[in-house]
Amino acid sequence: MKEFAGCPSSRTVDFREKGTQEEVPAAKVQSQLRQWPIQLHLVSPTAPYYQGADVLLTADCVAYALGSYHADYLKGKSLAIACPKLDESQNTYVEKIKSWFDDAKINTLTVLIMQVPCCMGLVQLAKQALESSKRKVPLKSVVVSLQGQILSEDWI
Amino acid sequence: MESYLNTPIKEIISKFQKVGEILGEYDIGCVPCTVGSCLLKDIIEVHNLSEEGEKEVMVRIAKVIYPDRVIPIPKVQRTTKTRSKEIKYSPPMKKLVDEHVLIKRWIALIPQLLERLDVDSPEVREILLNGVDFIRSYADKFHHAKEEDILFKYFDENSDILKTMLEDHTKARGHVKAIVEAVEKKDKKKIIEHLNAYGELLTEHIKKEDEILYTWMDRSLSVTQVGEIYSKFSEVDEISGNGVTERGRTFVIELEEKFEKSKKEVRT
Repeated sequence: MKEFAGCPSSRTVDFREKGTQEEVPAAKVQSQLRQWPIQLHLVSPTAPYYQGADVLLTADCVAYALGSYHADYLKGKSLAIACPKLDESQNTYVEKIKSWFDDAKINTLTVLIMQVPCCMGLVQLAKQALESSKRKVPLKSVVVSLQGQILSEDWI
Repeated sequence: MESYLNTPIKEIISKFQKVGEILGEYDIGCVPCTVGSCLLKDIIEVHNLSEEGEKEVMVRIAKVIYPDRVIPIPKVQRTTKTRSKEIKYSPPMKKLVDEHVLIKRWIALIPQLLERLDVDSPEVREILLNGVDFIRSYADKFHHAKEEDILFKYFDENSDILKTMLEDHTKARGHVKAIVEAVEKKDKKKIIEHLNAYGELLTEHIKKEDEILYTWMDRSLSVTQVGEIYSKFSEVDEISGNGVTERGRTFVIELEEKFEKSKKEVRT
């Protein structure tokens, strides 16, 4: 029977053998999370921790795939997470991101997404918000592979 | 070989001319540089050669310096990340690159301006002085000031690469001053000399910034620093940018149209 060849976001891929290599004891990895809540529907875009901050907008799956997420990306930044495929009311997301630019006057926005095509929707939401905002801010996109490699890191 | 990595490139090229030719093959234009104080190791890093490219160029240079010996090739210790050769600027660098476009359009008009150079014509003298005003207000006060007052502050201003850039700015200011004096004295020879020299200097300077300096800076800056620089540039744009940009754009467009119109008149 032919292997499932549908949407890449839900295709079954098995990394078990590779996943056991180069393990670092979990206790040595410090959490870099500086806030709560983190889900984009739950956060207030004008919360104190967003004011003038470097903000990460991370697709839900990224932190599981990217082993160095806390140290390399989350450290020193404020966070919101979302899924552009499954989350509802994404117009609210555009308004909240716009409010980061205009009201919280954030310094930069970095959008971390997975390599699957539907994840690009999160970058599109950020671009849409930036186009409609009065204040312009540097926007960066980082694409992560299913096995946690950085595929691209570009300013938009 | 290790010691040559810490030697100014001019010193190496003056001893081994072939090294300049090799660097030229990798689009590293150190031969015409008038300063040449950058160290070989910095040149390799700043030009962002791939690992294979770095190894290849170092092997070739080593063969020139030590033709009779096989010597170990040291690896350049990089302080910035290696990235692909395709240029994608951060937003603040993109602003500077975009500003270069208008300056390059003005430089492209210099040969046509010199063809029509009648120092007794009030109209030509007005164009020259408007050109000087464009250089001083847009290219220097607005654009170069963003670099000198904001961007360069994030780097070591005593580094050779920044000293070279600042020296270019100083030389450009010298040419502009000389152009103004020559216009006042109606000294046609001096106007031609300094306007041409300004055009050549800025063409080379812009190429160095677009292709080497800004990409190297982008590799060195943190995300936070990129945001800060962008915000500071936006403040400058808001305070003085709109008027200066609009005036500069109008000057360049009107001059382009004027020269285009006179070309058409000559053809008909």
